[in-house]
Amino acid sequence: MRHSFLIAIVIACVAIADDHLRAQQPSVPDIEGTWVRLDTVGAGSFGAVNALTGNAVLTPEAAAAAAAGRQGGGGLRLGLVADDDKPHAAGQPYVVTDGNCMLPGGLEPNSSAFHIIQSKDEVLIVRENPGLHRTIYMDGRTHPDLSRWRPTAVGHSVGHYEDGALVIDTVGLTPGGVAGGGRRTAETRLTERYVPSPDGKRLTMTYTWSDPKIYQKAHTYQITAERQPAGSWPFEDWCDSGDPTQRTSVIPPKQLP
Amino acid sequence: MKREITRSIAIAAAAVLVASSATAQRGRGAAPAAAFDAHDISGYWELSFDSRHVPPATLAATVTPAMRAAKRKQDEYATRWCNWIGMPAAMDATRPIDIRQGRREIVMNFETIATPRHIYLDRSKHIDKDVYDATTMGDSIARWEGDTLVVDTVGFDGAKGLSAIPGGGFRTSDSHLVERYRLMNGGGVLSVTFTWSDAKVYRTPHTYEYRYYRAPASYEAQPPIWCDPFDEGRAAFLTGSTLNGAGARPRSSER
Repeated sequence: MRHSFLIAIVIACVAIADDHLRAQQPSVPDIEGTWVRLDTVGAGSFGAVNALTGNAVLTPEAAAAAAAGRQGGGGLRLGLVADDDKPHAAGQPYVVTDGNCMLPGGLEPNSSAFHIIQSKDEVLIVRENPGLHRTIYMDGRTHPDLSRWRPTAVGHSVGHYEDGALVIDTVGLTPGGVAGGGRRTAETRLTERYVPSPDGKRLTMTYTWSDPKIYQKAHTYQITAERQPAGSWPFEDWCDSGDPTQRTSVIPPKQLP
Repeated sequence: MKREITRSIAIAAAAVLVASSATAQRGRGAAPAAAFDAHDISGYWELSFDSRHVPPATLAATVTPAMRAAKRKQDEYATRWCNWIGMPAAMDATRPIDIRQGRREIVMNFETIATPRHIYLDRSKHIDKDVYDATTMGDSIARWEGDTLVVDTVGFDGAKGLSAIPGGGFRTSDSHLVERYRLMNGGGVLSVTFTWSDAKVYRTPHTYEYRYYRAPASYEAQPPIWCDPFDEGRAAFLTGSTLNGAGARPRSSER
């Protein structure tokens, strides 16, 4: 009888250990570190984003709203001079930004490096330039009631690990534009999958926007980032709103016929 | 013998069933285990009215009234224009600080006008000052000494952000900060001892301690309190002119 119990305990322990290993180790990718976005399509072209993302297929209502400049996001980005949207003659200088360093932040990586830190309950994604950083809750919580949520440029994100990917679910975003001609509101859902390459040097981020009021089909595209070498350190993208040179002005050149 | 083996298999199967059930209950989405890890300072940490133990600093004789005035002016400018405040002001935040400890790095994210702070666990030397661009946060490396995390920071930019150090003195480009982080009270309190050394500012190293309280696990990060550098009413408040009866003018975003 004692023999039976010993065998039972050993088998149970092996089963539990195996369960834990399968549940935890292989499915959690190591994506911690410093990353820089790679733009390998259409570099140097204003059409590069669409080449990367494809064009979103909007519902007729959303397309009409976008054309009319409604559905949110119609306003100027913070810092742009609001009352200077009229044409300017060649040689006539005008100020286009007021130098405000308080930027809203954003979801996708931009030209700055970004850092991913994986802790037990939370993943942080922080850019090296101003704006809100991303907090992804990994503790199983759900999204808040959006009627009580003030939308932000990074929204509310929850995540989990699945088959070697970090999967992030985001809602509660400020209304505005999405790459590839897409739109978004606070109700629009963004699902991201972050998957490292087998050697850990590349990170593929797949973005999927879904909202039946806006998209006829889910709007999906990928961005790839490259891991920075060990020993890298962050830059501080200093910005001083009190510095007059922070304001950007434009002198329109003479246009060729 | 055969009956004994059959009984063993039956007991083992029952044990696995019970174990699997317990594992499933702790599966994805469940609350994290309550076990306290003395070597993980991750969490949201906030200061309270009784959090600060700050003795007065002993300043070096080289600190002149003119130097103090210049530093005060620098801090007023940084406040006026919503500059990133940097160290040590960021650690004095009025909102919880999000500290996340990863495998190779600790990041602190502040709900105030500050860049995130990066503390490297996988580096034992500072970046060569010939290639490091000084910042308001500096270059931080850390190591565990028992249950104490020792963070060593140099590479500060003395000319940017809020420079005032609690207890007296100010951050300069030569400042050296050593912090000692230690979890207390079953992980509910984070003690941080700050020691500033700077021969041009302090006669002896200046040490003070803050104790941060762990925010509830359900805490949700908030955007920083908005700071509008072009809010003229705010600027008037900061210079004290609103005390003479001048009303706040509309914020630039409302114009």
